[in-house]
Amino acid sequence: MPFRKLYASPAAAIADLGDGATVLIGGAAPHSEPSGLLDALLTSGVHGLTAVCDFADGVGAESARMGQLAASGVITRLIAPTVPGADGRMLRQIGKSGSLTIETVPRGVLAERLRAVGAGIGGVFVPAASAGADGGAGADNRLETRTINGVECVLLPPLRADFALLRADCADTMGNLAYRGAQRGWNAVMAAAARITIVEADTIGEPGAIDPELVITPGIYVNRIVATNADGQGR
Amino acid sequence: MPPANPTRLDANAMAQRAAGMIAPEAVVAIDTGLPAAAVPDATPPERGVWFLRPSGMLNELPLAMSDAAAIARGGYVDIAIVNAAQVDAAGRFAGVAAASDFAAGASRIIAMVVHTDAGGMPNIVESLTGPAAGSADIIITDDAVIAVVDGGLTLTELAPGWSSDAVQSITGAPLSIAPDLREMDFAPPAGVPVNKVYADGQAALADLPDGATVFIDGFGGPGGMAHYLLVALRDRGSRNLTIVSNTAGIARVVSFGTPPGRTAIDHSLLIENGQVAKAIASFPVSPSVSRPSQFELAYRRGEVELELVPQGTLAERLRAGGAGIPAFYTPTGVGTLIAEGKETRIIDGREYILEHGLRADYAIIRAHRADTDGNLVYRGTSRNFNAVMAPAARITVVEVDEIVPVGALDPEAVVTPGVFVQRIVRRPAGFTGYE
Repeated sequence: MPFRKLYASPAAAIADLGDGATVLIGGAAPHSEPSGLLDALLTSGVHGLTAVCDFADGVGAESARMGQLAASGVITRLIAPTVPGADGRMLRQIGKSGSLTIETVPRGVLAERLRAVGAGIGGVFVPAASAGADGGAGADNRLETRTINGVECVLLPPLRADFALLRADCADTMGNLAYRGAQRGWNAVMAAAARITIVEADTIGEPGAIDPELVITPGIYVNRIVATNADGQGR
Repeated sequence: MPPANPTRLDANAMAQRAAGMIAPEAVVAIDTGLPAAAVPDATPPERGVWFLRPSGMLNELPLAMSDAAAIARGGYVDIAIVNAAQVDAAGRFAGVAAASDFAAGASRIIAMVVHTDAGGMPNIVESLTGPAAGSADIIITDDAVIAVVDGGLTLTELAPGWSSDAVQSITGAPLSIAPDLREMDFAPPAGVPVNKVYADGQAALADLPDGATVFIDGFGGPGGMAHYLLVALRDRGSRNLTIVSNTAGIARVVSFGTPPGRTAIDHSLLIENGQVAKAIASFPVSPSVSRPSQFELAYRRGEVELELVPQGTLAERLRAGGAGIPAFYTPTGVGTLIAEGKETRIIDGREYILEHGLRADYAIIRAHRADTDGNLVYRGTSRNFNAVMAPAARITVVEVDEIVPVGALDPEAVVTPGVFVQRIVRRPAGFTGYE
């Protein structure tokens, strides 16, 4: 029953996303973010979300959607490697007002914690030198340390999420995904790390539309698909 | 009164100086924003330098972030170039350095910093006003190059028109003067990458020593196995090898698709030749009791050791080996012989065992096409263990059907980036997986 994954609108695809959920967001730049899903989130009435998102898109372009989500209280906690640029200024400003908690985590730590979820790994030891000052655990949480082969390591636990809101270049109706360029970065890692993965795709084809050698995310990780322009907003 | 200072360098000139410090074929973690982001354009393409960006792009290759981070943590990054807001007297830097978490594994870190802020106050200071993001080895400013030596700053190069006194006057930390202080050189660097393409299998494996650990790809059947290199390794005769592989050679006894009167080439060649001391494998036995594999026979004779590893654990241990992960907890094997002697642990109500990353001296792998930089595409199920083995070996040798020029492979289709591939051999026309 492959067609059950296809949703008519972004709002329908996120209808059960409730207050306080942890949500992975695949990007915060025009071509890597799930723009329609984020717009639907903004008008959904949901609040108090923890968002996990990286703002480094590599080309300098940015959108204001994450800032809007924080300003309106949809997102009240943000876990991110870096928050540069105008988005960063806006988010830090909101953070100073006390309505947004920002936790920074090294990119490699975040990627490995997310990867561990999909791979069924209970935890990974990584060299402490690669894990930043607190291993991404936050100042109040001490990560377990251990010396392995003479290298001081910290134990990274998996980072599980309720939802992932992702963007892909192409999906088929079974949820197989292909990305374009830097879009692959976080979207491909997050797809396997959430209980419910929702993908906004620029094009949607029948099974077989994507060359199997070019599929990056197998459809087994994808629960819902919506077209980028499903609501006619023309992104 | 310090003298009126001469012209500052612009971001492109700073980037050009940094580009001159990058060896051919180096892997460089690069920050977003100027001047670091201008370094790739200042680097001649024929240098074969790999730029890893915070977005996960490796040159034009898009990587999943877990793979991009693994390149850094796995020790593949030679230089990290970060934009710093401030540098202190010991070379520690601060700022929104997007590349800094890819910098941790780098052999050398170059911090790019504008010498003074908009108000003319030094950005090189006694102590940082914010938390340190890392420690630099070299600092390139818009008027000087400063090396971090023995925990202090040594002025090594001056931009045209600058004196050491002028540089010191705008620096908020003490500078030692290098005895060979010189003017900055912006000439493009010399040198090109070594040729990764080898004439034949013998040449590609000529230095594979006795006692080496060797990853060998492949699955139950002949697909995805580097048959030509296996024959070359047999002919080379290296002994006392530890081989790490999904099977320890069952293609011959399974005989999928083998033409009548011929035998499949697999690990059996090495075992018959007395070259293997130990196998680390998932499926080392024949599926048929009446047709034991060469490995089984050697094992029964007590000639070889065996470490049995579940297939998924083998894949994960290989991935960990290439990704700079020394150990991880997996649920596979709990309560079985596999768990004997291993640490167990309950995490969130589930029992796990601790497994360790695997690395090797050599990987002998098979792909469909390579470009001359070593970027690889596979075909169908032949991808199997090849893609996880390539990053985990010190020297990865790949056998391909076709070698194409750089740029001929679709970047979206490249599975193994060339940073993981040291040697490329074309499988001779007409060579088959059978003897």
